[in-house]
Amino acid sequence: MAGALEFAAAIPALPFVGFLIALLAGHYYPKLLPKGGAIPGILATAGSLLLSAWVFLAVGSGGEMNEEIYTWVAGDGTFSLHFGLLVDPLSALMVVLVSLVAFLVHVFSLGYMNDEDEPGLPRYYAGLGLFSASMLAFALSDNLLMSFVFFELVGFCSWWLIGHWYTNPGPASAAKKAFLVTRFGDYFLLVGLVGILGTFGTATFTEFTETAATALGPGGADVTTFFGLDPQAWFALLGLLVLGGVVGKSAQFPLHTWLPDAMEGPTPVSALIHAATMVAAGVYLVARMYGFFALLPTVLAVIALVGGFTALFAATMAVVKREIKQVLAYSTISQYGYMMLGLGAGGYVAGVFHLLTHAVFKALLFLGAGVVIVAMHHDEDMWEMGGLKDKLPVTYWAFLSGSLALAGIVPFAGFWSKDEVLHEALVYGLGGNTALLVAYAFGIVAVFLTGFYTFRMFLLTFHGEPRSSTAESAGGIGWNMKLPVAVLGALALLIGFVNPALVSDLTGANLDFLHSWLEGPIEATAAGHYEELVTANAAYAAAEFSALASAGISLVFALAGVGFAWLLYSGPEPVEHTEKLGSIKTLLYNNYYQDEYQVWLAEHLTLPVSRGVSKFDQGIVDGIVDGASSVTLFSGAQARRLQTGRVSNYVTLLALGLLVMLAALGVLGGWF
Amino acid sequence: MIPTEYYLLLSAAVFCIGVFGVLTRRNALVFLMSVELMLNAANLNFIAFSHQYGNLVGQTFSLFTMALAAAEVAVGIGIVLVLYRNFKEVDVTTPTSMRW
Repeated sequence: MAGALEFAAAIPALPFVGFLIALLAGHYYPKLLPKGGAIPGILATAGSLLLSAWVFLAVGSGGEMNEEIYTWVAGDGTFSLHFGLLVDPLSALMVVLVSLVAFLVHVFSLGYMNDEDEPGLPRYYAGLGLFSASMLAFALSDNLLMSFVFFELVGFCSWWLIGHWYTNPGPASAAKKAFLVTRFGDYFLLVGLVGILGTFGTATFTEFTETAATALGPGGADVTTFFGLDPQAWFALLGLLVLGGVVGKSAQFPLHTWLPDAMEGPTPVSALIHAATMVAAGVYLVARMYGFFALLPTVLAVIALVGGFTALFAATMAVVKREIKQVLAYSTISQYGYMMLGLGAGGYVAGVFHLLTHAVFKALLFLGAGVVIVAMHHDEDMWEMGGLKDKLPVTYWAFLSGSLALAGIVPFAGFWSKDEVLHEALVYGLGGNTALLVAYAFGIVAVFLTGFYTFRMFLLTFHGEPRSSTAESAGGIGWNMKLPVAVLGALALLIGFVNPALVSDLTGANLDFLHSWLEGPIEATAAGHYEELVTANAAYAAAEFSALASAGISLVFALAGVGFAWLLYSGPEPVEHTEKLGSIKTLLYNNYYQDEYQVWLAEHLTLPVSRGVSKFDQGIVDGIVDGASSVTLFSGAQARRLQTGRVSNYVTLLALGLLVMLAALGVLGGWF
Repeated sequence: MIPTEYYLLLSAAVFCIGVFGVLTRRNALVFLMSVELMLNAANLNFIAFSHQYGNLVGQTFSLFTMALAAAEVAVGIGIVLVLYRNFKEVDVTTPTSMRW
């Protein structure tokens, strides 16, 4: 099956071709482009999906690939920069996921964008194509530099797509915000990348993680460190710098503010961004270089704490939102917090598992929300909805499946993965790691809130009596929107069974398919290897704690949340109970004034600093340059008076010059 | 046999006459003649030293210089003609526009 791996490079290349077709044909021959570019996009992502599945099977039968394909800077006595492919179980899983979601989003866009006669369709599909291509290339990249390049491209594409309706001020500013906030994190990643290149002489994942492991291992190989730090501290600094990029992209506290605003973009784009591409990129990067993070207990603790805190923090804000997409946005932030918590707690498989299940059910929920929004003629306020259950039966059942998965109710996808994340955190936390226990506490409270806000959203949207005339006449959804929702609805129910760790613990049967899958053929990226590293280097010790009890706790919390929501919102005419929270509601509704303090920081800290720097630049740096030029100008203006245009004057000067030279020669040569 | 110093004195005298002419005269033709004087003063030096050291290279050089001087005079006369056409006189101080 080695044949499949030779086509691995075509996985990102196909959507890129789709992007070129949509862009060029859309510009020069728009009439030739069927469905405004949707058809090439759908074909390209379908091709990618098939190829990814083929590669997935090839990896399943023991294939792997880790090689350079193009060296773009050949190092002479130093390191080289190259593009390469790393196909291992993790990236194979990721490309299947990304291309599946991208494909379904393309199909869904037929209904959401084409049937609604939205303007700028070729631009939209070109953006989707480039977005999918960058994310696929990011997933397959074998070194951090290439990852960084595509990380940035993903960020650029999100700017492009969020700002699709750029003539409205809202989307235009949301797009800018998403770009700037994620760029802020990316600066740290860039510095970290340079640091890694300088320290290890390579950015290839499998190589520098191994070097770092030996450097920190017994006996310790010699590595270059900077600022006089010992390897442990220096690596931790590098890890935190890389984490900066991750926090920006994966919308973790405090750089999460761009994500809710990104809801201004078209809903299929939100699905793509939140499920499988942009936001997933950050968490995927942590998983990709987990061999490095696993060595660093400090960084792992930071990851876990940031993740746990974000999970809780975002969940509280989701409780009071009115718009369906805002609730989903905050749930996305919260769920990515869980993934970070899982990874930080040493649960590599758990984190990846939650990434996988979340991609499925969040894509489902966003596409479902897209259906609702189209049916509601672009009214997103949940208080205007209600009673959509009978109007949109397919969406209702699929959305129910997605909501149960998000809330973490057995046996839907989210239950298995979230439970595994929390179990890892609890087990290692009880093993003597306080930071993980705190993070676990955050996470478990967030489980309750997740159940609550999910079903608040669900009940307000689909149950009760219609609360507006639009909701009474909702309907008219085509197959192209129902199909992706239905497919994902079924997946949200089933995908959790790829790794029901709980069942294997109870019955003793080996059902941890994902766990065995991630063991993988490449030693350096195998899950078991990471586990050893975490135990050996980060001194993580697992306490004995029954998986069943842990699952029981989180299930009780989730059910309590769901039950509470049911109690408050299930009647035919629900009321806004959040009003009773008073000033807390205002605080939550305004997102803890996060935007305000960040804007304040920008205006009162960054702006004065920039002004000062600008003054230095204009005054001192430019002053020197300007001074040199004015001195030259002035002396030139004086010296040109010599040139009179009269030949006699020149001759006089020549003769005088000759005399002076003679005299000088005489004096120096000792004639006199 | 005449000592070499006499030739050198003659050459210096001719050169000084040339310089004097260039500095004082305004007529382009006289100007040109003065330049020729300076050139031939150099020629004299060549020949004098060639004679002194019994080396023929200097004399050969002076032959080349004469050919060069002929060419130079041709160009110079051309310039004088153009000068006359433009200004109706051959005073070298009249045209002053070739400057900044």
